[in-house]
Amino acid sequence: MTTVEIGQALKRSEDFRLLTGKGKYVDDISLDGEARAVILRSPHAHARIVEIDRAAAAALDGVHLIVTGQDWLAEGFGPIPTRSAVNKNKDGSPLSEPPRHCLAIDRVRYVGEAVALIVADSEKIARDALELIDVTYEELPAVTDPRKALADGAPRIWDDIPNNLCVDFELGDEAATKAAFEAADHVISLDVENNRVTGVPIEPRGLVGTYDAETDTYLLYNSTQNVHAIRKTIAEDIFKISADKIHHIAPDVGGGFGAKNSVYPEPALVLYAAKQLQRPVKWIAERSESFLADTHGRNQSSKVQLALDSDGTFRALRTDTVGDIGAYCWTIGPFTPTGGSARTQGGPYAFETMYYSSRAVFTNTMPMDPYRGAGRPEGTYQIERIVEAAASQLGLDPVALRRKNLIPAEKLPMKSPMGLDIDSGNFPEVFERTLALSDRDGYSERVAASKAAGRARGFAIAPYLECTGGGPKEFAGIQFAADGTITLSVGSQGTGTGHETAMPQILSAKLGLPVEKIRYRQGDTDATPLGGGHGGSRCLEVGGGAVVRATEAVIDKAKAIAAHLLNSQADDISFADGQFSDAKTNQSTPMEEVVRASFETGRLPQDMEPGCLDSDAIFERGIISCPNGCHAAEVEVDPETGAVAVANYWIVDDFGTIINPLLADGQVMGGVAQGIGQALYEDAVYDEDTGQLLAGSLMDYALPRADLIPNMVIRYYEDAPTAKNPLGVKGAGEAGCCPAPPVIVNAILNALKPYGVTDLSMPVTSEKVWQAIHDAKP
Amino acid sequence: MYDFRYHRPATISEAVDLFRQCDDGQYLAGGQTLIPVMKQRLASPSDLIDLARIDELKDISATESAITIGGMTTHAAIAASSEVRSRLAALADLASGIGDPHVRNRGTLGGSIANNDPTADYPAAIVALGATIITDRRRIEGDAFFTNIFETALEEGELIRAVEFPIPERAAYAKFPNPASRYAIAGVMVSKFADIVRVAVTGAGPFVFRVPDMEAALARDFSPEAIEKLQIPAGDLNADLHASPAYRAHLVSILAKRAVQAAKE
Ligand SMILES: Cc1cc2nc3c(=O)[nH]c(=O)nc-3n(C[C@H](O)[C@H](O)[C@H](O)COP(=O)(O)OP(=O)(O)OC[C@H]3O[C@@H](n4cnc5c(N)ncnc54)[C@H](O)[C@@H]3O)c2cc1C
Repeated sequence: MTTVEIGQALKRSEDFRLLTGKGKYVDDISLDGEARAVILRSPHAHARIVEIDRAAAAALDGVHLIVTGQDWLAEGFGPIPTRSAVNKNKDGSPLSEPPRHCLAIDRVRYVGEAVALIVADSEKIARDALELIDVTYEELPAVTDPRKALADGAPRIWDDIPNNLCVDFELGDEAATKAAFEAADHVISLDVENNRVTGVPIEPRGLVGTYDAETDTYLLYNSTQNVHAIRKTIAEDIFKISADKIHHIAPDVGGGFGAKNSVYPEPALVLYAAKQLQRPVKWIAERSESFLADTHGRNQSSKVQLALDSDGTFRALRTDTVGDIGAYCWTIGPFTPTGGSARTQGGPYAFETMYYSSRAVFTNTMPMDPYRGAGRPEGTYQIERIVEAAASQLGLDPVALRRKNLIPAEKLPMKSPMGLDIDSGNFPEVFERTLALSDRDGYSERVAASKAAGRARGFAIAPYLECTGGGPKEFAGIQFAADGTITLSVGSQGTGTGHETAMPQILSAKLGLPVEKIRYRQGDTDATPLGGGHGGSRCLEVGGGAVVRATEAVIDKAKAIAAHLLNSQADDISFADGQFSDAKTNQSTPMEEVVRASFETGRLPQDMEPGCLDSDAIFERGIISCPNGCHAAEVEVDPETGAVAVANYWIVDDFGTIINPLLADGQVMGGVAQGIGQALYEDAVYDEDTGQLLAGSLMDYALPRADLIPNMVIRYYEDAPTAKNPLGVKGAGEAGCCPAPPVIVNAILNALKPYGVTDLSMPVTSEKVWQAIHDAKP
Repeated sequence: MYDFRYHRPATISEAVDLFRQCDDGQYLAGGQTLIPVMKQRLASPSDLIDLARIDELKDISATESAITIGGMTTHAAIAASSEVRSRLAALADLASGIGDPHVRNRGTLGGSIANNDPTADYPAAIVALGATIITDRRRIEGDAFFTNIFETALEEGELIRAVEFPIPERAAYAKFPNPASRYAIAGVMVSKFADIVRVAVTGAGPFVFRVPDMEAALARDFSPEAIEKLQIPAGDLNADLHASPAYRAHLVSILAKRAVQAAKE
């Protein structure tokens, strides 16, 4: 194999390494003289810390450091600020941001909150010491339900924050929406719950930190999605040192889903310990710790209202949400239920007007941060549930109702009532293609077959509108070596998502250089001067864009060399298919030859030096792109037990240009699997009375397994690439989990229509289905 | 995990002797329950006596009327045994539906029943088939073996050698798995012998129990219709995140009917 194309189904070059156990994750890194850290966590949802007696623990042989919140404060370290893009209330006042220190100071506010750091010669000794620390708590009343937390008289999580309200947000035109509701023939209302879930990356979080006294610098290996931004916060906000004092590396990362995008307390604690002890310190989360202390996602309760006319034309949409953010603002927690869910309100449907209001609320639970989609899946669930409810209540065909209201292709580009720039796409075409794919003609036969087997079959279709996010700016650097290897360094980062394949594929396609000669670097603050990491489906959009820009810089310089080699003028040289050619002389030379020449002084123009082809570029996107698509599904329900199985799943996605369909398929399937997880199985539920996390292990938190995920038929609509970035890509990473929850739930409701069931909440467990059938019985 | 001493005896008598000499010893079979519990520091045996190298605990042997399976036989081995598959398919089916491939290739029959998890599958088979537990010192009737939640008739240091399963005319197991752990939210084994019908329920209550009403109805007429109207009381059944007592009671009726149907086919 030599060069590859954009759009080619290139197999993942990292798979052999990762699948044969040769991946290098944080826990695979062990440094000489390493000490082990463990974290003492709060057993209470809400309590005052009266006293911490560490004498017995400190006396244990091999224990070197015990740090409490008071010790931390005494060091003068700063709190971790939130970076939420929504930072003001609707009246213009700032959101309420309580201080978030790396260790609880005098009060714990959720089960699992870090109370003390213990460092010892081994993990076992550290755990022995942890058991010997005696914390006296005075329990306080706790509240875990955000709606109850808002009520007057609810326990206050922060003494100075009334009603536990972090931020009161609105977007859209309230008055116009009200007027449209009054003018409409029908108003449909539905309470819609997005359940709390957590990412459960296969690799738990982990850290190895060292400190070098000679240079006064730190080195941190971290299973993270974002080395640059997190380094900046740790350095500047917590330690109050300059960011370049920390070299931050993410080695292979085994999944993140947003949960590794946050600034957690543990990295700063580990670096502090490394400096105190002058030895490397390692911390690896246990799975049960991941459940308690990895950020959670979703958990929005919304009242959704749709105004429409008798002929089915949508007039206006109004959504009022209460969004849980847990006990602190965390990294960008307040953004998800506010701005994050607002942007794609209404999906791909035409609305004259919309109004979105939302309150982000503190509770005594693990804080929330982006979880795959971060607000957009919640929004998709809201619109698709209300559209299905409207069809059902008004006796309209749900397919026809959707078709009627999709934004016509000729309306694009447009700005949605939520201010989203929708530049490209063809929602009706994607919808029709999905319908065609889903074999509607064979449906009645499948229904009959299900019925004969004692099961009820249902169908639903869900068009969706997505948007990307994350840092707008990205860096790519290309370095050539005399032996022909090329190093590509990009500031965006994969977490098992195939960037090691996709980014070199772009470079190879653009420059016509052999893909197997390309070394890929990411997740290292020394490799790129800046980097936005992983999040918001941004990597191909901005990282890939930067790669393209860097290849353009290479081509510019290479043209001069080619002209020199071909005795032409640089202006006469064109570059295509890996060849520089001069049409006038009919001479050409390949890129590889130009690269070779670039290392030989004798073959270079006077003003060029060996190594001159090395090029960097920064790409900054102007506006986010709008991935979109349509999913359809059939489910089978066993009405006797309530068990649900997803029988068929069809997808047409518009991600603009597809760089590598294998990688895109992987993203889609993973997103759909997580969407099915949220729809049917996953529930990070807290006990209302005790504030304990009930689903705190894989024995209780149900993840979808391979045998529960249907075969997916995936097609791409590639006729509407975006002009917002050089590749025309729209971001594929989070899309799958937007339409999957509503398409599954609506298909179940469709199957249960004959039973009189009209509403179900996620996760739609077999018991809920059975109960609903039972309750609906006349 | 706390420190412990590790032993690897080669014979049953060596294992039992070792147990006697230990302070607070525990047998280790597949480790699928014991090791996680130790990792969480919820158990701290002074000594682990690993049964993995005792070959006499891994036999599957058959007579005309019974199959005897060694205590250290894994779920995967039971599921794959042609002897079990051809003569006691209900048990092979049960074994092949336990947990996931990792668990089935490590977990053992002896470890499962010694542990007596209320949601484990084998207890339903032991009771529904009227099996006998053969230990290093005696034979224990299946009906008398499971005494309470996580409790059995085993004495201190008593080691399960094997389980003897009589071969029924018909039997089948129907299970409704917990979506997270894949243990049974409820599981029902139904068996029909020349002289008796047995219905044993696991997962639903604190430990396995029989349903005499269903047994009597099925003895008269071994058909799903015979138990169509029979509901067990929800009162003492388990409640957890995944199922309420009422739902479990309902599932037991459905699973019993399905097991009877499957046994007839
Ligand atoms: C993820 C997961 C899913 C599971 N799903 C299911 C399921 O669907 N259905 C199901 O039934 N089970 C399930 N199990 C349980 C599993 O199948 C094992 O049977 C169980 O964990 C114990 O068997 P073991 O051989 O691993 O015993 P161990 O964990 O080694 O031992 C368990 C206990 O039995 C004692 N013991 C072991 N052998 C003997 C012996 N011969 N004599 C006396 N005492 C003995 C030990 O001392 C210990 O106290 C699951 C387990 C896991 C981890």
